[in-house]
Order: sequence, then structure tokens, then C-alpha cells
Amino acid sequence: MSAEVARGFRWLWLDGDRLSLDPDAGGRRFGADPRPFEAEPVRGAWAHVCAVCDDESARIPYDQPEVQLARADALAWWIPLLGDSLVCLTTLSLDSVHYGGAITVTRDPDRFRADPFARLFPGRVIRTDLFGEVPPPPGPVLERYAGAPWPAGSFSAPSEGDRA
Amino acid sequence: MVLREAIVLEPGRPFPDLDLPDHTGRPRRLSEVAGGDPVALVFFRGFWCPKEQRYMRALVGVQDEFEVAYARLVAVSVDSPEVQSAFRAGLGARFLFLSDAERRWLGPLGLLEADDTVHHPYRPTVLTLFPDLTVHALYRGDWYWGRATMEELRRDMRAITRAVRER
Repeated sequence: MSAEVARGFRWLWLDGDRLSLDPDAGGRRFGADPRPFEAEPVRGAWAHVCAVCDDESARIPYDQPEVQLARADALAWWIPLLGDSLVCLTTLSLDSVHYGGAITVTRDPDRFRADPFARLFPGRVIRTDLFGEVPPPPGPVLERYAGAPWPAGSFSAPSEGDRA
Repeated sequence: MVLREAIVLEPGRPFPDLDLPDHTGRPRRLSEVAGGDPVALVFFRGFWCPKEQRYMRALVGVQDEFEVAYARLVAVSVDSPEVQSAFRAGLGARFLFLSDAERRWLGPLGLLEADDTVHHPYRPTVLTLFPDLTVHALYRGDWYWGRATMEELRRDMRAITRAVRER
């Protein structure tokens, strides 16, 4: 397990219309939920990447209301709207504080025009084999765990003997 | 897995890892949904019941607190996923609904409301659970007033969070 996975994220590089897990691929680096990359990849999926790859100033603190609201909209109607088409979604972190975008991965690209994360950074559609299926966040938790990109991360479940 | 014998619901006892579809029809397990956080698990009769409509609106009123407090809120009924999805959207809920339309867990949990011979619904019941699904508290929701108040949910979430986080 890499150090970033242990911390609740996985580095991902975006260069134009190319997504890669390879540090040598070039482009802008983002932290993503690591779980989609541990699952069996869905071949020929569609990723709606709402991020800017050539402007390092394109960043918003995660706690800004517009970022919170996009996450709330994802739970309220975006995930239900996608239904069985959804493969996974992840926000993209730049560091422990800043939001840099989001990726929604589906089996068809028909509904991407409604993506609430496209309100924050413009979306582009990329065909990809990188992502596997992950159960969507159950809600209502919007907060991030130790700076991980929502919905990644969790507190470790304590055993019975650990209780006060 | 569905157990044949009734499960004892009382504080300190393990709650079963329910396997049910959510409001989008996607299979879920309660342990996956809990994800290491405290859980308020609400069994409700169904969308048609005016008491449940009132209570669910109250839960929507506290979801803003759950969403920043690393705690889960889950509602279970015998409504189909399609009906739950519409009810959830109408409420403005952002938490998870689980559908037991096949009534697989009603008997084992001993939560069938026997008086309702039309819907065969869940008896209104609220449980607060530790992240490992051990029962912290149980509220029988008969006569409406038996349900957990929002203050009781806050109190239970505080107690569970203290027990599992402050060590």
C-alpha cells in the first residue's frame, strides 16, 4: 500500500484529455478516492472530469459553501439520477485544504450536463478504463476524514475493548 | 444472510449486518454504510403514514448536523426503492434509505407491526448503533411519542462518539 493510499487518497494526473496514475504522465496532480483504483476496472466507462489542468490557481477551499453545496447535491439528487449507470465519484484534492475538482464515472455519458460539480470547474468527458465500481457515499456526511478527498476515508472502526 | 430466529434488540447486543437495496436499488450492507461512524437507524412504517411523514421531516431537520459530525442516518421501510426515492426527494433528504419490500428482515428482527394487516410494515423503531453495529439505545416508536426525539439522537451520538473517538 502506498503512502497516499494509507492516508486516504491516490494521486491522479490530468493532462488535457488524459487521466493517468503514472507520476511520469505529466499534467496537474490531484488526490482522488483510492477505492476505484483498487476495484475491478469498468472497461470503456465515461468520466466527467470537472477540473482545470493548466492553471494552478484553480482551487477552492473545501469548506467554501459552493463546494459543500455541490457535495450535498450529489447526495440529494445527482447519485440517484445516475442510478445503475454510476461507477464511482470522487472529489479531487490539491492538498489537505483545497478542492481542485471532481470526477463522476458512469457507464454512459448522457446525464453529465446536470453534474453539480460542473458549477465549480468546467467538465470534460473522457473515455477511461481506470476506475472500478465503488458504492456511492450513503450520506449525509459531507465532511472529509483527515483531509482526504470526499467521499474517501473513514475513521478506523474501534473494537469493543477500545470503548471508554 | 437472513436468520430464522428472532434477534434480541437491546443495548449492548450486536445488531445484524442488514443486506438490503437502497433507494436507488443498489445492494447495500449496513456495515459498509456505517463506514466506521455512529449510526442512527430508523425503521418507519412507510410514506403513507402521517406520523412517519412528520418524523421524517424532523430527521431532515437534523441531517445538517449529521453531515458535519461524522455520523450516519439510515431509514428502513417496506416501501419499494422507487417509492422511497420519490419520498426522499420530496423530503429533501440526503441520507440513505434501505428498502425491505420483500420483508426479509421483518420477522428476524421481530419488528412486524401486526395491527396493520394492509401494509405489513415495520413497527416504528429507532436504534442508535456503535460503528461496529452494537446497539447503544433502542426506542419503540408506538404512539409517536416513543420515537427518539432529536435531542435524544444528539445525546446518543455524543455518547457513542465520545466512546469511540476520545481514547
